[in-house]
Amino acid sequence: MKLTGSIKLVCQLLDLPILDKDERWCGIVDDVELEGEPGKTTRVAALLVGPGAYSGRMPKFAYRIVRAMAGNRIVRVPPAEIADIGSAVRLKCTAQKVGLHRTEDRVRAWIPRWGAL
Amino acid sequence: MNPLELTLGIMTAVGGFVDISELVFAAQAGSIFGYALIWAFAFSTIGIMAFGEMAGRVAAVANQPVFNLMRHRLGLKLGLVTLFASLLSTLVTCAAEIGGLGLILHYLTGAPYLLMSVVSTAVVMASMWVLPFKWIERVYGLLGLLMLVFAAALVAIHPPWDKVLGGFVPQVPSSLSTKQLLQFGYFGVAILSAVMFPYEAYFYSSGGMEEKWGPKDLLTNRVTTTVGFVLGSLLAIAILASSAQLFGPALVGPEEPGTTALEAAIPFGRAGLLIALLGMLMAVAGAAVETCMANAYAISQFFGWEWGRHKKPWDAPRFTIAWIAFMLLALAIVLTGADVMTLVEYAVLFSIIVLPLTYLPLMLLAGDKGYMGQYANKWLAKGLGWTYFVIVCLAAAAAIPLYLLTSGGQA
Repeated sequence: MKLTGSIKLVCQLLDLPILDKDERWCGIVDDVELEGEPGKTTRVAALLVGPGAYSGRMPKFAYRIVRAMAGNRIVRVPPAEIADIGSAVRLKCTAQKVGLHRTEDRVRAWIPRWGAL
Repeated sequence: MNPLELTLGIMTAVGGFVDISELVFAAQAGSIFGYALIWAFAFSTIGIMAFGEMAGRVAAVANQPVFNLMRHRLGLKLGLVTLFASLLSTLVTCAAEIGGLGLILHYLTGAPYLLMSVVSTAVVMASMWVLPFKWIERVYGLLGLLMLVFAAALVAIHPPWDKVLGGFVPQVPSSLSTKQLLQFGYFGVAILSAVMFPYEAYFYSSGGMEEKWGPKDLLTNRVTTTVGFVLGSLLAIAILASSAQLFGPALVGPEEPGTTALEAAIPFGRAGLLIALLGMLMAVAGAAVETCMANAYAISQFFGWEWGRHKKPWDAPRFTIAWIAFMLLALAIVLTGADVMTLVEYAVLFSIIVLPLTYLPLMLLAGDKGYMGQYANKWLAKGLGWTYFVIVCLAAAAAIPLYLLTSGGQA
């Protein structure tokens, strides 16, 4: 499935995991950004990934806790970078290209690189 | 299908089936109610077979671990509630396993229990750091086969086999008072929860993805979840039946794992006791690894982080931090001085409440032809799935009242 056709946003897109072109898990579709105007077709402008995208999806008090713990960063993934939508959203590009691996890379710096088989 | 892989898979499932909760509840159930609760183990095993098979099949076909499904099917809000409840119940289970490890090492060495809890946690964490997934699973699963000494011990004490077999028929003993009936119900619910712990589905489905299962592995999945789980369950039943034969008539209440080990000591002496304790140590260590990793899988999959121990720890950094943090948190719970048996009780109590939320999305996705195609649930999986879902919901509703009415299983 691709974003050029019609799609059921809630059951076919929202909360799906995202895999980059190297098959690395790089986020969840936390929300979608739509574009359009009255009388015209509504289109998905971007997939929104990150704790900042929870704001419209949970009670305010819960979002305040999330924001305090995880920040309010949002990454926008443009539809042009989506290769396929099935049981996961597969990207044409690497996670780095769309900014989806920043936190992972930051945490990686803390992990010692020895001892593991 | 590689026969060696299949055999190893079955042996791993057998060795990894029993954990501290099953050790405790099987021995106590046998001592208090004789053979009358064997059917609860058999019945619960069919449930975990059905849902385990679905979890493995979904991992192999849809390439989806359980927590991705949960987030997608339940949505963010209910998904977060389920995640939090699952993390809490599995964390308590992990703490119970670590406490169990400390106790067993205390029996083996005589060193202080809390010190042994710290030592065992350090060793388990080191093994998780060093070994890749397949080796972690195999080492603990295969060494857990030392638990077979309990099956040998049951044969050696010549139990009344007609009564043992009669225990497989669902029954409620007629001579019980109201208080004992409530206690019987509590043990039934606890056994259902201990056998069907939600972490088992998270770990099993994630394990399938760690090993890169595809549709070609569906037979391995089916055989592992049927033969492996049945043989593993027979070990738990052997513990229950030995307890019914040895402890019940002597009015011994096997509330601690050390008493359970005596089941092997009575027919086989010191060697039997040693093998039983080592088997329990490995089985419980395996369960500690599974619970800790299940939590790391859950949180990583829910938020879409890199995960898996087939990768080097630094290639899945947030997953690595997660399992280290959960293991240390579980140890911290043990170090507060919390009683291991109380932790076991809380673990089964929390888990039974989480079970419906765990298994419903799994069942819905396993039956979704859009994702699963020709491998979607057929009549048997559908029938078993819905039957056990209803039973698990009823058990979840009854768990807290039964716990309160029986003061945690006391008559």
